[in-house]
Amino acid sequence: MSIHTQRNLTLWSGLVGACLLIVGLWTLSYGERSKDEVPLIHPQRVADYVHAVVEADRTIYTTHVVERMQEKGITFAAEHWEQRNALPLPAQFLKYSGRLAAENGSGIRYGLISLWPIRNGPATEFEREALEELLKSSTKPYAGIVKSGKRRFYQAVYADRAVSKACVSCHNTHLLSPKRDFKLNDVMGGIVITIPLEE
Amino acid sequence: MESPRTTVSKKSRWGLKGKLIISMLLVGVVPLVVGLVMAFYVGYEEIRMVSGTNFAAIATETARKLDLVLTEEVSRTRRITRDPRIIKTLEVRRDQATPDEDRLALEAKMAKGWAKREPELVKALTQNDLGDLLRRYYTGPTTESEQQVPVVTRSAKRALFITDIHGTLVASINADASFANAQEEWFQGAFNRGVGQAYITDVAFDERFKVFTFSLSLPIMDSIRYQAVGVLHQVYDAKEFLAPSVHPIRFGKTGHVMLIDTAGTVITCPILPTGVRLADPRLIELVTPPQPGWVAAPSSGHGDQSDSLIASIAGAIIGYARLPETSRITQSSTNRAWHTFVWESSDELFAPVEHLLSWISVFGFVAIGLLVTLGYMAAGRIVTPIRRLQEAALLIGRGELKERIQIKTGDEIEDLAEEINRMNAQLEVAFAGLTDQVAQKTEEVQYLQQVTDQILDSMVTPIVLLGPEARVEYINRAAKEAFCLEGQEGEGNNLFDLLPLDDMSQTRLEVELDALTAPGGNGKRDLADEESSRDKVNLRDPLKPQLASEPSQARKEVQIGPCIYNYEWFEISARGSGPRIGLILRNVTDESRRQDQLIQAEKLGSMGVLAAGIGHELNNPLFGILGLGEAIQDETDLGKIKAYAKDIVGHGNRMAGTIRDFTGMARSNAKERSSKVDINDQLDQALRLVPHDGENEAVQVETSYQPLQSITAVPEELRQVFVNVIANAMQAMKRRGKLTISTQIQDGIMEIRVHDTGPGIPKAFLSKVFDPFFTTKGQGEGSGLGLTVANRIVTKYGGRMQLSSEEGQGTTCLITFPLPDYTHTGERNS
Repeated sequence: MSIHTQRNLTLWSGLVGACLLIVGLWTLSYGERSKDEVPLIHPQRVADYVHAVVEADRTIYTTHVVERMQEKGITFAAEHWEQRNALPLPAQFLKYSGRLAAENGSGIRYGLISLWPIRNGPATEFEREALEELLKSSTKPYAGIVKSGKRRFYQAVYADRAVSKACVSCHNTHLLSPKRDFKLNDVMGGIVITIPLEE
Repeated sequence: MESPRTTVSKKSRWGLKGKLIISMLLVGVVPLVVGLVMAFYVGYEEIRMVSGTNFAAIATETARKLDLVLTEEVSRTRRITRDPRIIKTLEVRRDQATPDEDRLALEAKMAKGWAKREPELVKALTQNDLGDLLRRYYTGPTTESEQQVPVVTRSAKRALFITDIHGTLVASINADASFANAQEEWFQGAFNRGVGQAYITDVAFDERFKVFTFSLSLPIMDSIRYQAVGVLHQVYDAKEFLAPSVHPIRFGKTGHVMLIDTAGTVITCPILPTGVRLADPRLIELVTPPQPGWVAAPSSGHGDQSDSLIASIAGAIIGYARLPETSRITQSSTNRAWHTFVWESSDELFAPVEHLLSWISVFGFVAIGLLVTLGYMAAGRIVTPIRRLQEAALLIGRGELKERIQIKTGDEIEDLAEEINRMNAQLEVAFAGLTDQVAQKTEEVQYLQQVTDQILDSMVTPIVLLGPEARVEYINRAAKEAFCLEGQEGEGNNLFDLLPLDDMSQTRLEVELDALTAPGGNGKRDLADEESSRDKVNLRDPLKPQLASEPSQARKEVQIGPCIYNYEWFEISARGSGPRIGLILRNVTDESRRQDQLIQAEKLGSMGVLAAGIGHELNNPLFGILGLGEAIQDETDLGKIKAYAKDIVGHGNRMAGTIRDFTGMARSNAKERSSKVDINDQLDQALRLVPHDGENEAVQVETSYQPLQSITAVPEELRQVFVNVIANAMQAMKRRGKLTISTQIQDGIMEIRVHDTGPGIPKAFLSKVFDPFFTTKGQGEGSGLGLTVANRIVTKYGGRMQLSSEEGQGTTCLITFPLPDYTHTGERNS
């Protein structure tokens, strides 16, 4: 395992830790509320918290790790980062941290979806609608309760914009990208956060 | 005479020829070897590079192809997992609120039934809705929207079934599925705590299917893809699934592609069986890097043994490439990546180089053979004429080459042969001229010898030429007559055996001959010694007339029979054996007699002059005495008588002086006793002896002596010398003036100067002052013998006497004696 990979894992662990802390606090507060009549936190707020943390982590990673490393010529970010001994792309960073958070059994899920996906398209009609709505207005997340069998989940989709040139150039040149005319600050997709609603 | 030729021939046979052949061989072989090495190296490197690059390209292409096959299979399978019917069914199963105990009990029971393949159970699990659905996916064609599943892919599938979140079998296309899979790695990997991920197992032998299989497991996510609600599991016959993509790629006899994982397990290979492990860990490490490439590995992993040296040097050229997408799944599953491995036997790969090398070697050997043959022939063509030239040169050296050298090579050697022919012709001409000249010179020499012999024989003077040890080499006719010899008698004998000499003469001659022939010390004879010895034996030119003035004792004469011969040694320069000595004898019998008579006559003449001089000298004072005596007889006056008597005494003294001078001259040869004499002392005595009567009082005498060495002499004789000189000076000054006597040593010579202030001697008389009876004095004043006597005495003791005078300035008499112990040769001689 390379140094970069270790560093990345450390970052992911930090991010996941932060998420867990938030979710834990929320759960704890929920539990305490239920016991001690503590007021419930709206899932949207939880989703906002998670989104804030996830986006902050990715921004830090993008600006202070990837771009800085690339500027100094130390290393670069690439899709096949394991083979090329490089850094994961910021999108991959978010995806892997989401997977790590999920694998920890916390119940929280977050990931990227897009109407013009390289890999991750909308899984459900709700997600598709959310993305389409966000294209129209991206100021607020598109949120709602979705069901899987008997289980209910609160799902919030936040608009994800092209915040750096790297995002635009990668999506405009990738062989699997269906859309190649992205511009800076365009809504490229969304960050979907799924929170299980305990019945 | 044969040996030199043989030696030269042996030397040259393998000399020049061998060198030429070796040179030609080297000229051919060195580029050949360099060419061989270069051909080998370039071919070897080219093949390595080209093969490696090609193998890497094949590996990459095959990897891409395989990756595509596998990722398509994953995508195809993923579509099954997204079937809403399956998801819905599994979501329902997930949401069933069955207590775990009941569920486990039921599952255990069903597992047993499944293990026995109870038909109802099998039917329930394979013929249910999902089973049908799966079968439709498996068969493919039933779904219009789906791509047709490749037949190969379908036939390679051994199992396809779905489990729920507990790993329990939900539906299967056949009875080969396993029922409870909760503990299976593939299930745990694919379910991944509900998060789900694709999982591909390593290739392993499956006991159910008796083949090596690998499986692909994909999670079946719920409708919102929040979590896995089941797992879809497919088992593939590894070889059947992958071989169609790999095995057809063959090149050459052994070139092929195989698929391995990073643990070195062969997934599929046309040669190696699936599932075997590559034994060499170094090889595995070399061929499983993330990036595609090629490597020259120490082994190929195929257990091949390289027969050729080149192949064993080159190693195994292997191209490799990772399956990127597939490996992403396998690495996250079992931490192994899949790699293509392209290899061709090095024996086959480098066969062209070996063939090239073999052909070049064959060509090289043929070329070497040709070079040797051609070199031998060429060397023969070059060396043969040179040998003929060499033999001709030997013949020329012996003067035996009579025929022209015939060499027609049309090159420098032919020119050289022509030059040698020309040189030989010139030598013959030159030798012919020389022979004539030698004959002519020989005749001349013989003629000269005859002439010389005739001349020598015709001479009346006996001549003898001596060889070493006084052996007579030639003796002329006159000598034979003189020595009473006949014919060839005498030649070869010792000289002294032939000469009838008395002992004394023979001894003298022997000594002289020895002195002439004896070599100098250490073979050197310096000039002085030679000259002194010549002086000693009086070696002189025999033709030079003998001077009448030579002293009689210097004459060399021997008496042979009645004749007296004057003999002379002479030297003849001869080559080689050193100078020869000749002896010439001149018959001086008559001449000697005449000379003796002449001497006698001279003696008588001298006696007459002497007697006349003495008579004259004595007569005058005698007559004076007689006159005075007569006058005294008649004189009565005593005073006059005394005066006469005084005159008589004076005349008497003069007579006594005359007699003393005469006596001194007469006694000069008398044997008197010699002793060490101090010259200064003798001078003083002489001064005292010179009459110091009133007549000489007006003379001022000044002496200046330096200490001199004593000389061996008769004291009286020396004193006589000085008395005579001083008396002469006194007389010259007429008893007035200054007499200066000085002695000194200068340049190894003792000088005695007697200077007077008299009138001097006219130059005309200076050369006669030492003649007997020569005098410038008046009648009765001098005998004319004083300086004669003095000069003889001085000469006797090795000294010299000189008079120098200028008229009116006085006279200086210089007497010199060499210092007795002065050894400087030059000074002594002077």
